[in-house]
Amino acid sequence: MIEVQHLTKRYGRVTAVEDVDFKVERGEILGFLGPNGAGKTTTMRILTGFMPATEGKAIVAGFDVFDQPIEAKRRTGYLPETPPLYPDMTVVEYLDFVGKLKGLLPADRRQRVRAVMDRTRITDMADRLCSKLSKGYRQRVGLAQAIIHNPDVLILDEPTAGLDPKQIIETRELIKELSGDHTIILSTHILPEVSQTCDRVVIINKGRVVAVDTPENLTARLRGSETMYLQVDAAHADAPAVLGRLPGVTRVTESDRRDGLVGYEVESEKGHDVRRDLARAVVTSGWGLLELRPMRMSLEEIFLSLTTDETPTATEDGAPNA
Amino acid sequence: MRNVLAIANKELRSYFASPIAYIVIGVFALLYGWFFVAVLGFFVRQSMQMGQFGGGAQSMNVNQQLIRPLLQNVTILILFMLPAITMRTYSEEKRSGTIELLLTSPITDFQIVIGKFLGALALYAVMLGVSLIHLAILFVYGRPEWKPLLTAYVGLLLFGGCFISVGLFISTLTKNQVVSFMATFGVFLFLWVITWIGSTVPSIEGLVTYLSVIDHFDDFSKGVIDTAHVIYYLSFITFGLFLTAKSVDSERWRG
Repeated sequence: MIEVQHLTKRYGRVTAVEDVDFKVERGEILGFLGPNGAGKTTTMRILTGFMPATEGKAIVAGFDVFDQPIEAKRRTGYLPETPPLYPDMTVVEYLDFVGKLKGLLPADRRQRVRAVMDRTRITDMADRLCSKLSKGYRQRVGLAQAIIHNPDVLILDEPTAGLDPKQIIETRELIKELSGDHTIILSTHILPEVSQTCDRVVIINKGRVVAVDTPENLTARLRGSETMYLQVDAAHADAPAVLGRLPGVTRVTESDRRDGLVGYEVESEKGHDVRRDLARAVVTSGWGLLELRPMRMSLEEIFLSLTTDETPTATEDGAPNA
Repeated sequence: MRNVLAIANKELRSYFASPIAYIVIGVFALLYGWFFVAVLGFFVRQSMQMGQFGGGAQSMNVNQQLIRPLLQNVTILILFMLPAITMRTYSEEKRSGTIELLLTSPITDFQIVIGKFLGALALYAVMLGVSLIHLAILFVYGRPEWKPLLTAYVGLLLFGGCFISVGLFISTLTKNQVVSFMATFGVFLFLWVITWIGSTVPSIEGLVTYLSVIDHFDDFSKGVIDTAHVIYYLSFITFGLFLTAKSVDSERWRG
């Protein structure tokens, strides 16, 4: 549905996006993850035809955005970072105007305006001026205008930025609902959002793609070794030694000590589940086992490790361009 | 075409949703009324004098001696009013980010420019419409000819169209409306007074007279439609709109 090849954008001497390559299949939600200034907005603006790329190619819904911009735009809905609302129009007037811009015929338009207001739950605000809307509603009206012409592709630039937690959850739900009919690219710098809404993630840093994968795979791939957290009820001087002797265990470090409880981080070889052995060893030694859980690398850590320079984990599985 | 009209319509509505339309039309109506009274008073005094000296009211012509000087004065008002109409067209879209909606919609840059041009021209036409009220009074008490009046208004529309196209171009260059207003006003005024220098330098006199936007209006106000002037105005407008579209396009490249 969306194909981006060797996309590069330079502003004078500054390179905003360099050699970006990715594909999005029909019906997929792709998360575009990266710190501020990584080139997310630039890439999206190129995909929507707002600005041309310096080099490379972008194909949206089968049309090249440079060679056939009108056709590509007809099939793209775009929600920029700030919803592009006209303050002096009411919500209905605004959506009707956008419908006209997108080339909807009058009869069809009236019905589509009603349908998108229903879908984004803004019918109550239909006759309110856009300038009088709250941040959450502005965002929803922005979403409504993006889907008014029922585009194949939806491009959403930070759709949840600046919303309160309840609105964030609602917006995520809405985006998930929309993914049935539309192929979606959304950008964010909020990590949980990606694991909750996206099928695949493109991590971009300093204009380059550093990883493309599913959120689960990214988590798994970046775990070079498995780490277990183990908590026992008293300080036992020989505990590290006992645990360290178990097969597969590579390292045991004491991580915390509180109220007589001691926590250890037990690292083991990849693919070697040591949980059973750990539990047995604790019990046979007569210690009280209070907690035993795998320590997952959170997306936050992955993100940091990928976007901080030259981390060995990023290149391990041959991440593109790393 | 449909989306061009959609943009024109939106532009016109946004003028009336903001104070701009009311201020522009209100100020125009006030000053125009003042001019009208002044010119009319002068005309009446003159015709009375003519009557006393036995020249007869016959030689006084409403079109030549009242309407024509009046409309010449209107062009000065337009000089001040039009920058206020065009100053926000692109500047405002850029500031509020709605330009992203326009530029990512399935329409060409040129269609957007035409839409905005038509919207501004429509407001300008409404403004000129106000001046017709006073002229209607002349038809009640006198017998002016309507044909030269018609050509004069065609001339005014073309003349204003030139200014609007320049104003649109300038508003693409800045996000700041005050900058937009002042720059547009400056360019207009320069195009106005360009002949002042030209008349002292014989070698460029022909050129500057041709370039002066106001000199081309003269014939229209006399009731003459000369294709040379029509072509001048139309090519001026086309050039202005072309520059506007190019400026929007270059903005895309520069980001």
